[in-house]
Amino acid sequence: MINSVEAQKCIRETLVGFPPRVISAYHTFAEGGDAANLDIVVLGVLHFYLAKKPAEPLDALPGTTRLVEDLGCDSLTMMDTIFMVETLFKVRIDDAELIQLTTLDELRLHLRRLVKESGPAAA
Amino acid sequence: MAVPRIIVSGLGFITSIGNDRTAVTDSLRHLRSGIERHDFFPGHKLPVKVLGTLKGFDTAALQWAGWKWPAGYQFQPEALRGMAPHGLYALCAVEQAVADARLQPADLTSSETGLFCASAGSPRLTRHYLNQIHDSNGERIPPMGVVSTIAGTLNFNLAAHLGVRGAVAGFVSACASSTLALGYAHDEIRLGRLSRVLVVGGEDLNADAIYPFQGMRALSRNPDPAKASRPFDRQRDGFVGTGGAVALVLEEAGSALARGAPIYAEMLGWGQSADGQSISGSDPTGRGLALAMQRAMQASGVGPADIDYVNAHATSTPAGDASEAHALRAVFSDTGAQPCVSSTKALTGHGLSLSGVMETGFCALSLAEGLIPGAANLENPDPACAGLNLPRETLAASPRTILKNSSGFGGSNVCVVLRRWNN
Repeated sequence: MINSVEAQKCIRETLVGFPPRVISAYHTFAEGGDAANLDIVVLGVLHFYLAKKPAEPLDALPGTTRLVEDLGCDSLTMMDTIFMVETLFKVRIDDAELIQLTTLDELRLHLRRLVKESGPAAA
Repeated sequence: MAVPRIIVSGLGFITSIGNDRTAVTDSLRHLRSGIERHDFFPGHKLPVKVLGTLKGFDTAALQWAGWKWPAGYQFQPEALRGMAPHGLYALCAVEQAVADARLQPADLTSSETGLFCASAGSPRLTRHYLNQIHDSNGERIPPMGVVSTIAGTLNFNLAAHLGVRGAVAGFVSACASSTLALGYAHDEIRLGRLSRVLVVGGEDLNADAIYPFQGMRALSRNPDPAKASRPFDRQRDGFVGTGGAVALVLEEAGSALARGAPIYAEMLGWGQSADGQSISGSDPTGRGLALAMQRAMQASGVGPADIDYVNAHATSTPAGDASEAHALRAVFSDTGAQPCVSSTKALTGHGLSLSGVMETGFCALSLAEGLIPGAANLENPDPACAGLNLPRETLAASPRTILKNSSGFGGSNVCVVLRRWNN
């Protein structure tokens, strides 16, 4: 449970350096479980690791924006993002699933589904 | 075609005795030590209580996002995310050196610019990541677990960050590594393959990087920061660890002059040899190091009588310093030459693979600023040093030619010769 004291301490350490908006969205999601805050966290993590930041926030870009071709997301950036999201939401993304995630929408929707399936342990 | 003259045009320091060129010069001039009492594990039983500490940094956090560094540096997450602590130090040192040499971003991304690095990697992060893997039964493998930890981490990260296209390489010869990097950088420029090489050395400076040396009883047990590191002294009992990073721009003189860059020193040449004896110890006779010194001088067109100052490798270990003293006597005393000799590790501690480029940087400052660093903490010279000229205080002299020695595990000996720039 990410609401336990120990888990919260771990999450605080994990999120050191992340923008306040992402941290706030994470805690709000932990309390309420709404998808909008989950999206903010997922895209915030991706944005944090992108080598070249896009001119606009990721949540202002079309959902069809491609992770590799449009955002320059290399394999390490992708793995950093996935590793962090897995840590934060206690979910696992299989390699076979990972290669199917090519756009912002696919990333968002996949995480929504995984977190929902994981149930209380994730939220 | 004329043989290019190769010079040092930029310097950057993150060291125990200063975080920039001015502070380092001041410390060398006044023999100001960077060694302090330090307990990595308060209450521990290990008899090692001193360290050449870095000031203004906090890299205790396992994640880069928790690190702190001095004001004036601004780094984006993408520059730091694949780095160990010494990567952060190296970024700071590189920024200084690049600005010092008046290099523009286009100079760095030119196919004429190379990057040669030396570091031992990051034992602490290696432990952390491997623990994560084991604790999760192999299910959680941190993406940066390789590129931030292995011995090439500096070259991987800095090459990507700077956009280096000319050449990128790492050197792994323990405490001779960054001197070796300087040597091969010199060759690349002399052969006309590159116009300049950014040479960078770095070390983490934490318990995982330093304490393993206690396993071979190589660390000083002396708790007094003023006496623990005392190269060539009878009472020396081991080295004091340090870390940080130093960056040095080595380049063909013409390109530096065209930019109006400062010229700290000319690198005349270098030489190397191997002891062929021990995994870690020096040849007690010093034969290997003597050969490297002779080769460096021969390649540089100078002889023992031309050398005004030797910046010794001497780390303050009983066996290593004696071996170097024998080598120095064979090369200099036995030929009637009497250069000043000191080891600046008395002030800094031993920076392992960082030490060669750090001390070459000190030598460049000595030539440019007109000083010869004294042999700090030396009270009673080892009898093996008989006949060597070991000034106790820094001399306000103007050395013309300096020899820098380095030795590393496996019997690696590397020496470089620097000369005061004279156009």
